[in-house]
Amino acid sequence: MTRTARLTAQALAVVLVVGLLALLVWRVANDSTKGVSQALKDGEKPTAPAFDLRRLDGRGRIDLAALRGKKPIVLDFWASWCVPCIHESKRLEAARRQYGDKIAFIGVDTKDFSGDARAWQREHGITYPSVHDGSGSVLTKWGGLPIPRIFFVARSGKVVGELIVEEDLPRYLRQIAAS
Amino acid sequence: MKRLALAAAAALLLVPVARASDRHPTLAELEGEVMCPVCGTTLDQSNSPAAQQIKRVIASRIAAGDSKSEIKDKLVAEYGDAILAAPKRKGFGLLAWWVPLGGIAAAAALLAAGVWRWSHTREREAEPPHLDPALERRLDDELARWDT
Repeated sequence: MTRTARLTAQALAVVLVVGLLALLVWRVANDSTKGVSQALKDGEKPTAPAFDLRRLDGRGRIDLAALRGKKPIVLDFWASWCVPCIHESKRLEAARRQYGDKIAFIGVDTKDFSGDARAWQREHGITYPSVHDGSGSVLTKWGGLPIPRIFFVARSGKVVGELIVEEDLPRYLRQIAAS
Repeated sequence: MKRLALAAAAALLLVPVARASDRHPTLAELEGEVMCPVCGTTLDQSNSPAAQQIKRVIASRIAAGDSKSEIKDKLVAEYGDAILAAPKRKGFGLLAWWVPLGGIAAAAALLAAGVWRWSHTREREAEPPHLDPALERRLDDELARWDT
């Protein structure tokens, strides 16, 4: 190998290493994988990550972005294997009777078998529509496991809160209904 | 040649076994090939409610007479490709099988080239240095004088 070729190869190797290091630093500094849940904890009000998923009942799809500016949304991440989800979904079902004309209630059945999910909805009398997120990719954008996770999205499309304690439900419902 | 023929014969003998396994899968073998979607392990390593749900689904599909590939296709349709412990051996999944093998082959080729180059450099270094023809002639003359 000639001296010029060797120097070129060495320079290329150095450029490659420096480039990879720069990419690593940029990735750490601009961590876009932070879920909605973490953003809310950091005091931000992030825009709701869009999704367009098939409805569990087979009646087409729900495109979250299409609802932006039209109605506030309550988003419920659940699964039929999740025991605490029963209690939370029933509370949302009761709230839907009161706020259903002002707020859209949408369930996201995640990491679940859709046949079991439909049976679970019938068994527990859950009537608000749910979409199927079998791979959990939508759940990941919102904060990942554990579930249930319930988010409140204002009419503007900004996520204003996540249900942490029971009292959050009436408080956020009033807030987004007025948005 | 004899060994190659034996290996080919053994592979041919295994084909019906693999086909039988696909047609009549057992829950135990599928539990090792399917992931639990919430625990990051295969089903046989997990007793979580989500894993138990998938085990029930698999058992019911086996009872209904589905083949292993049909059951896997159903699970992929519900949970996505990540539900399989190993990527599919077709389409994009093939990359996961061939890229490591290609990497190993490329590394072996690079290593072989490096060793070949290193050994030839050493051979060249071991050769005696060539003398200047004038000096060589003078040396021959001197040696001839000593001989006489």
